Amino acid sequence: MKSTAKQLSTAANWPPEEGETISLRSSTASETAILKEVRWGLVWRDFVLEDGRVIPEHRISGCPQPQEWRKISEVTDQEREECEERLLSMAGAGMDPRERDQSFWAELNQYLAYTYLRFKPPGPTVQGKAQGEARDTER
Amino acid sequence: MTTDRDEPDELQVWRVLSEAGLVEIRLDEFAERIRDVKRIVTGRLFDLLNFNTGIQERESAAYSLGTLKGLELKVLANAPKPPDPSEM
Repeated sequence: MKSTAKQLSTAANWPPEEGETISLRSSTASETAILKEVRWGLVWRDFVLEDGRVIPEHRISGCPQPQEWRKISEVTDQEREECEERLLSMAGAGMDPRERDQSFWAELNQYLAYTYLRFKPPGPTVQGKAQGEARDTER
Repeated sequence: MTTDRDEPDELQVWRVLSEAGLVEIRLDEFAERIRDVKRIVTGRLFDLLNFNTGIQERESAAYSLGTLKGLELKVLANAPKPPDPSEM
């Protein structure tokens, strides 16, 4: 009971507000940082820090479990196309996705995850369901 | 035992993406993951062409495939060069 109550309380206060100090797992260690912005990507939320790093939600301390994900069908064609243009533009500018926690790394991760879920062969799992929903919206 | 049917959608998404290595792509695996996703899109596009259905999805899959190809080429071109053995 205690853990359920705690989860509800965390979920109610989630996500943190801009300007709050948050705890996160970075590529090297646990640390704290100031939150600049929370934004939805194509699949999950990204937390943008004041120093410009982009951290996926599951690495932020206190993230409610299970984590909230977007349905594939919620992503509009325009949003997807804008993301594709941004990615090609960043790649064209010579940015390297191997720079962890930077914009290109974060956006390419989400684009690949989204595209995989969208086109994976239908099956008895959620991605099949998500594809069905996506196709339904295109009809 | 937990089955897909018992598993909440959120956990299924997490598991599917984790198994595909797509939650947090390792820095040295971007080109490989792009190729994996290209294979999935190509398979889907092949099905759509064979069954001659879903024109909108077909166009969208073809466009995504083009984007992935472009990204793959750029990522490979921008990859750090391995050390030259003659300089070692």
